[in-house]
Amino acid sequence: MSRLRILAGALALALLLPLTAFAVDTGSADFTRYVAIGDSITAGFMSGGLSQVAQRNSYPFLIYRQATGKTTGFEQPLVSPPGIPAQLELRSLSPLVIAPKAGLGSPLNLNLARPYDNLAVPGANVHNVVATVTDNGGLHDLILRGQGTALQQAAFLHPTFATVWIGNNDALRAATSGRVIEGVTLTPTASFEADYRTIANTLAAVGAKLAFATIPDVTAIPFVTTISPFITLPSGQQVPLIGPNGLLTANDHVLLTAQAELAVGKGIPAALGGTGQPLSDAAVLDAGEAATITARINAYNAIIRTVANEKNAALVDVNAAFADAAVHGVPVGGLTFTPSFLTGGLFSYDGVHPTAFGYAYLANLFIAAIDDHYNASISPVNLLPFVFGTASASKGLFNPADIGMDDPSTATLTPEAINNLFWSLNVNIPAPKRPGHHHRH
Amino acid sequence: MRRRSFVVRALGIAILGAVVAAPMYAAGFGIFEQGTKATGMAGAFTAQADDPSALFYNAGGLAFVDKQAFSLGGTYIHATKADLKGADPYPGLGYHAEQKKLSAFPPHAYWVRPINNVWKIGVGIETPFGLTTEWQNPAEFAGRFLSTKASLRAFDVNPTIGWQVTPNFGIGVGAIARFSDVELVRYAGAVNPFTQSVVNIGKLDLKANFSEGYGWNIGILHKYNNSFSWGLSYRSKITVDYKGDATLASISTGNPVFDAILATKLPFNTKLPVKTAIDFPDMASLGLAFAVTPNVLVETDANRTGWSAFKQVNIDFTGGPTNSLPDTTIQQQWKDVYNYRLGVRWTTSPSAQWRFGYVYDQTPQVEQSVNPLLPDANRNGYSIGYGYTGGIKADFALMYLPFKERTRNKSFAGEGPFFGTYNTTAWLLGVTLTF
Repeated sequence: MSRLRILAGALALALLLPLTAFAVDTGSADFTRYVAIGDSITAGFMSGGLSQVAQRNSYPFLIYRQATGKTTGFEQPLVSPPGIPAQLELRSLSPLVIAPKAGLGSPLNLNLARPYDNLAVPGANVHNVVATVTDNGGLHDLILRGQGTALQQAAFLHPTFATVWIGNNDALRAATSGRVIEGVTLTPTASFEADYRTIANTLAAVGAKLAFATIPDVTAIPFVTTISPFITLPSGQQVPLIGPNGLLTANDHVLLTAQAELAVGKGIPAALGGTGQPLSDAAVLDAGEAATITARINAYNAIIRTVANEKNAALVDVNAAFADAAVHGVPVGGLTFTPSFLTGGLFSYDGVHPTAFGYAYLANLFIAAIDDHYNASISPVNLLPFVFGTASASKGLFNPADIGMDDPSTATLTPEAINNLFWSLNVNIPAPKRPGHHHRH
Repeated sequence: MRRRSFVVRALGIAILGAVVAAPMYAAGFGIFEQGTKATGMAGAFTAQADDPSALFYNAGGLAFVDKQAFSLGGTYIHATKADLKGADPYPGLGYHAEQKKLSAFPPHAYWVRPINNVWKIGVGIETPFGLTTEWQNPAEFAGRFLSTKASLRAFDVNPTIGWQVTPNFGIGVGAIARFSDVELVRYAGAVNPFTQSVVNIGKLDLKANFSEGYGWNIGILHKYNNSFSWGLSYRSKITVDYKGDATLASISTGNPVFDAILATKLPFNTKLPVKTAIDFPDMASLGLAFAVTPNVLVETDANRTGWSAFKQVNIDFTGGPTNSLPDTTIQQQWKDVYNYRLGVRWTTSPSAQWRFGYVYDQTPQVEQSVNPLLPDANRNGYSIGYGYTGGIKADFALMYLPFKERTRNKSFAGEGPFFGTYNTTAWLLGVTLTF
């Protein structure tokens, strides 16, 4: 071989090297086939809709990218913008108007010949994962496509690694509907444990290494905390709103969905120009209900910790991280992100689901726990593009303009926004309006 | 009295003007180069202290002064490299930022004279601390919410008395008045509710006015015999309390409604009274000098700097509820450090002397406090100097100061990531004239 050819070969190699994904040290974890089980948060749901604008940076995708160095091969049930249901946008700050974007998205990856790697279904609770095959045109059908339960499909893929973050909806429905109904909006502990163990045992049986995540206290999300139970007069005096059981106290929560009622004077004393009529039960999560939900979440988390320990799995303590974030915020480079609605940077326009930054932060919680437990050296997600909103463009994953994403600067939950949100959360209180019928093809 | 105070202040401001933009070049934000003869030997001078810069290096040397002398000089400092390569999770792998390459000329001046064979007096003006960091493209710099510019200027007025106890043993004691000012600039950001991403909303420029703090120093020099001498020098800790103003200049987010909301929440474009304090460390030096031949002298020094005094910088807004921002604390939690110096002095003729030196300077900065405001690192210094003695004395020194790479991968509890690796390189050129 001539010297020139050796040189050319070396040059070609040098040119190729940067293009080759270099091996990530995943320790004793193996991300050859990674599957995610979960609900809307694992699905990458954001601002009241499932859209690839957010799905392409879902926390499971970010874990996959960091653990494998690859950006392809992790299949998700992508939906075109503006999503199913249509994602919410901020129309104006004054008056504060949050409404769904016009139109509806359509599924982009419906013909994948195998189950998705991200099998999370918005609205799913722990029992849905083990039992639900169809929901008659809802998001289960979009994602499960009649091929079995999420858990069956996960097992079918024989994952080498699986993350399980399920249980939020077992308590969230009680919080967002303002009604604690045992066995309806709040899952009993015994059935939670039985279903959770079924998930863990099934995944362990097919040889998957596991990471489980705890459930954050859903009574601390902006959906629950944003509206004060008091009206503050110019004098500084605080006048309580009127709840279904009388005047509200500081420990009662007025839900974000109460805005529609407040706008027509409900819940506001007549002396202050209101109707003097009480807010509906669905608009208020009272102190007792909130305490019941928090206690139940603690019980769920005790089960999750026990199961994680039994399966020798990584435990991602989202509950502790969120509790800390609620008090201290999430500091990054001199900035502090907080759970405040609209301006905190952690929660999207629905007050329940994370922003792009929030998802990247969650991915880093998972990665840190996986690194720790499996003696891996998976790098955390670079937060810079998520802080400054250039996530998609800068990493070359997708360009918002290419997929017809609206100019974000063109963005009160309108009744339609609330309906969409409840529909996707599987909250049955207000009837869903229309988004259901589109995704069956 | 009031007039004298005014003169001191005016003089002080003039001197501070000359010290503008001194990049820190002894570890921490110290500047150990206060005499060109010493700089030629990388600061290994405590056991020699045989020119007027003894007032800084070892006041014990003042005891041996036998005629009046006046020394004036400065050190030209030029940073050739000061940059940051980011690490995940923030500002991320692939991120790169550079500081402005700063040049500065911190001066020094000394006057010494004997009163009689036993008692000697002197006054030194020194610039033993200083710091400037300034990042390029500040409005886009990923660390802009931490710091885009930091400037600390300080000089000491150091009257000293020397006592020649025996012909070969001297003690010196001095008082130190330290004059200093500080400027800190950073940006304020907020989440734009329309884009759910961070935008600049203001630029906070904090200026602490020229303020004073007081301390003392002591030194011993023992010329044991013709071939061995030793010296011990100590300069005390000094705290300077500053008062000043901060101004938060508004930056439009592009949305007038959001701008208006911010304007109701933040005291934009108004002077906000502020106070802060900096604890400058004490410093102790031990030097041993051996004359290997009548013309070649070797000195080794160890310095201990009490940087553990630099625990945090509290910035207190004192303007009351309507004219202030939340108080902030910049955590430092530094450590005491030693540095080691080796100097060689080679006298080639009665009028010429060559000097060589090496210093290993340890950073006092713990990893968690490495940030854009002050990215410090361990460093090596290599020096060469030349001294000419004729009608006047002229000293020249050149020092090359490559910093070790400094990487931060952890934060204090409750503080977020700003991870990455800093690289810095500087050259120093010193000139001192003595009459």
